[in-house]
This record gives sequence, structure tokens and C-alpha cells, in this order.
Amino acid sequence: MKYSNPEIPEGINTSVQHPLKEFFLLTGGILGGLLIVIVILTLLADRLAIYIPFELEMELATRVMDEEGADIKPPPIEDYLNRLAAKIAVEQALPAEMQIRVHYVDDELVNAFATLGGHLFMFRGLLEKLPHENAVAMVLAHEVAHIKHRHPIRSMGRGILFGLAIGMVSSTLGSAMTDQVLANTGGLTVLKFSRDQEREADQTALESLYRLYGHVEGADTLFEVLARVSEDASLQMPEFFSTHPLSESRINNIHLFQAEHSTAVNMATESLPSAYAVWLMPAPTE
Amino acid sequence: MTDLIIFLLLLALGYGFGRYAESKHYQSIIQREAEFRDIPAVTSKFPPLTKPPSDVELVTGSVVISVDYFKRFIAGLRNLIGGRVTAYESLLDRARREAILRMKEEARAFDGYIIFNVKLETSSIHKGRKNGIGAVEVMAYGTVLIKQS
Repeated sequence: MKYSNPEIPEGINTSVQHPLKEFFLLTGGILGGLLIVIVILTLLADRLAIYIPFELEMELATRVMDEEGADIKPPPIEDYLNRLAAKIAVEQALPAEMQIRVHYVDDELVNAFATLGGHLFMFRGLLEKLPHENAVAMVLAHEVAHIKHRHPIRSMGRGILFGLAIGMVSSTLGSAMTDQVLANTGGLTVLKFSRDQEREADQTALESLYRLYGHVEGADTLFEVLARVSEDASLQMPEFFSTHPLSESRINNIHLFQAEHSTAVNMATESLPSAYAVWLMPAPTE
Repeated sequence: MTDLIIFLLLLALGYGFGRYAESKHYQSIIQREAEFRDIPAVTSKFPPLTKPPSDVELVTGSVVISVDYFKRFIAGLRNLIGGRVTAYESLLDRARREAILRMKEEARAFDGYIIFNVKLETSSIHKGRKNGIGAVEVMAYGTVLIKQS
């Protein structure tokens, strides 16, 4: 019997394919697939954003907001605003998990805005100029309506959505990405809502005011007051205008709504609490 | 951006050195296989009774080969979609043949003329980050027959 190890031709146990070819095929295919996913997410961002659970939105918000002031007793004005906002939230039938939190900002800026996680910011500058509760309620109702319609998260848009999508695959990569987006957009203060979103918020706000007071008298006072302010100081536009573009049609919409729903007998506006002016005293600077 | 540059650099280094080392290794393997062809390594358990009485000795040969960065990367991509991991095929082929060659070298030192009952063991000896295979060890062992003088 003869034993031997014959010479075996090369390439039986290995592939002859050039490794670079496989490399380009693989990276090309996988990057291409990712690209398609990104494109789809981008196209559907606005529609998908509302499916992001509100809890997640709140979590995102706490990641950016420093909760340092949480232990300090809130000023009485904040209590008042929160109570009012809670009443409005009931009228707008907000889902239970949507918690509205109003923050009072002791600043001259004539502004108010809603942001991620149900946080509303009301500036002293704006509150000082409002003559009665209905106007305050209009501002609050408008901002609460933004929250109700998920406008903040929809405005954060594709960046957040993409970050959260990646987060499903890789938790560290995903959260790093959403943090990056939050940092890039300047955090929470510069969310821009579209004209349609403002109109939608106005409409919801008016409906809730109507349910709360039985009329929408005084809702337009907000805009009248603001218009007067901008005439007085023609150089300095109130900040509120840049975040809430004012247009004739918005006031007209209020008047239209008023005309349609003018059945109420008592059209008197609610007066503000007697201590309102005291609450709004600017904190003494040291 | 720097991360990407470092990554591409590592990939290029892995590809360059990996390809170079592999082609050198194959050259050496093919040359030595011809050199040791006169000592057959067979898997039969026992030599035929017709063989003249011989001394026997255990011979082993083992080798550890590391995966390069490039191979690991494309194998990682392969993990996502499945299929033949061609990057690792040549790695294991080299390791098996090198182990057999080292075993034959030992057999030559004993002045043996044939190795029976050859077996191969493979193990990944270093699990890198996230359990990725870092290096592979292949060991070949068998019984060499040595002519009685």
C-alpha cells in the first residue's frame, strides 16, 4: 500500500474573490440600505414624530433642562399660571400623560413659548402687559395647544426621529445623536413652529377658551396689546412676534370665531387676581 | 471626523499588512509543502500490517494567527447579512496547513517517514471586544512511524 499527500490546487478551501471587491459590495450595500432608511424617515418625519411617546419627549426635555430650581418653592405667579393651564388642559382634553408645567421667567422680554416635554415659559415682560385673565388664558391656551398637537417634537423633526431610530439599534450611539441634535438646535428655546401650526394652535386655543368662559372676548386683546407695544417702541419688536408671527388673518380668525359663537349673554372678561401686580414685581437685583 | 480618519487608516493598515503577510505566508506554505511531500500525513488510525516494524512517536504542530483589522471589519459586515465569510476562509486555511507543516517538521527531526492518525483542533484563543474573534489557533497532531535501525 502506498501513502502520499498529493499537491492540492490552490483555492479549494478559500475564495478566489478579491477581498476589496467584497469590501465594497458589503459597505456599499449596507450604507445604501441605511441611506434608504434615512430618506424614508426624513420624508415621514413630520408624520412619524407624533408617534414618539410623550414620556420619551419628557425624558428628552429633562436631559436638556437643568432641574436645579425644582427644590425651590415656585413663586405664586407660577402657581396661578399652572392652575390656569391645568383648567385649559382639561378643556382641551389633553391625554393623561401630557403634563403641562408652566415656568415663570423674570425677564423683560415680551415672550412666551412652549417646548419639549410639556414645558411652557411665560416671561414677565408679556404678563405685565395683559389686562385681564382672558388674555393670559389665551396665551396659555395657545401654548398648551402647541403641546397638545405635539408641535415641539414635530419641529425638532428628523434629527430627533433619526436619533431615536438609531437608538433602537445602538443605545449609546442613539442618545449621543439626540443630544447632539438638541445641542445643535440651541436646546429648547428656538423651536420654530410653522404658520399652519400657529393657526392650528390658535383654533384649539379659541375652542378651549370658549368652553372655559362661554365666550372668547378678550382673546384678541393679546394681539392688540402687543401691536400697541410694538408701535410704542418701534425699534424693538417684542420677542413674541418673532416666535409667533403676527398676521392680520390671525386676528381676523379670532373675530370670525367670535362672530360665530356670540351666543353668550355675559361677555365680561375675568379680572386678574388682586395680587397679580405684586407677583410680577421683578426680583430685587443684588 | 477624526474618528473616521483613524478608522480608515486602521482599515488601510489592516488591509495592507494583512494582504502582504498573507501572500508571503502562502508562498512559504506552498514551498515547504513541496519540501515535506515525502512525509505523508494520513488520517488512518493504524498502519497496515505489511509495514515493517517501526518505532512510533507523537508529533504535534500548532500555530496562532491573528485576524487583521480589515478582515475583522468585513467579517463584521458579513455578520449583518450572512453568507460565506471569505475573509476568514483564507485565515483558517493558512493556519491548518501551517500546523500540518510544523508537525511534519517535527516528524522530520525524528527521521520519521509517515504520520498516521492525523487530527486537527481549532480554537479561537482570543475573544476581542464584543466577543469578536481576535486570533485563531490550529493544532495538528499524529503518530509518526520511524524506521528501526
